Amino acid sequence: MSWLLHRVDDRLIHGQVVVAWGQRLRPARIWVVDDASAASTWETDLLRAAAPDAEVRVVTVAAMAEAWAAEAAAPGGAVLLVRDLATALALVEAGAAVRAFNIGGLHYAPGRDKVNEYVYLDGADRARARALLARGVALEVQDVPASRPQPLQALDPGVTAP
Amino acid sequence: MNAGAPSRGAERVPALLVMHADLAAALLRAAAAVYGPIEGVETLSNSGHSRETLEDAIVDRVGHWTHGGLVLTDFWGGSCHTCGIRAARGRGEVVVVTGVNLPMLLDYLHNRDGAEAAGLAERLLRKGQDSVRVQRGQPA
Repeated sequence: MSWLLHRVDDRLIHGQVVVAWGQRLRPARIWVVDDASAASTWETDLLRAAAPDAEVRVVTVAAMAEAWAAEAAAPGGAVLLVRDLATALALVEAGAAVRAFNIGGLHYAPGRDKVNEYVYLDGADRARARALLARGVALEVQDVPASRPQPLQALDPGVTAP
Repeated sequence: MNAGAPSRGAERVPALLVMHADLAAALLRAAAAVYGPIEGVETLSNSGHSRETLEDAIVDRVGHWTHGGLVLTDFWGGSCHTCGIRAARGRGEVVVVTGVNLPMLLDYLHNRDGAEAAGLAERLLRKGQDSVRVQRGQPA
């Protein structure tokens, strides 16, 4: 069972993850892959408290790359969260055999263009998306389970045309 | 802890409502329909915000609170709650309350003068728990 969802979401653990995906997927574990959060006991405690129905593990990219295959074979389901495409690409480059990332939230920041209501990309993001696609990793835009997943390259042609 | 009737010149505990979509603004409008015109309560939606920008937006609104205040949010584990906690870090008198409903907001409005933030938050917790009840329809 194990991996149920790999998600790119700059809010990491929040309502859509805990309520919508959590109720649908019922993960036993939520892996938050974020070097900054993993370095902070305070932030780790907050992320754990935010999702009381699952075991929350806050880890670095390197630690997740090492643990990914074992988690794939573990009993119970798991959800993986990264905050951006840079972390998603770093995780894959470090050896995690992720086949698809759900793109759940990359919100506006200066220099980013709107793709839809919850996805904004800049040139560096598009280059990372291309690198992931080139490695055979699907990128599916979908905020909550009830909405229709769409390939990122269909919503943003700039992802495939450098 | 309960200040009773507002006293002239007493400190007022400020509040910021941080909720999903339009809930904060709508809840404040609903409270105004019952309470009358409301001053001194700000609202903020998490729509369109990343974690960092939502935290910054909360800090912008609570950073000037010199004697603390309440960040009133919709549910535990949501970004409004967690970003509220991040914004309150290092601001000991800023208290985050989750699960806020209309009875709680009205109770805040009636008791915010002359109170202190932590005690008022505990009061709202009890009010919220007491306000949720189930009553079945009676047979005809």
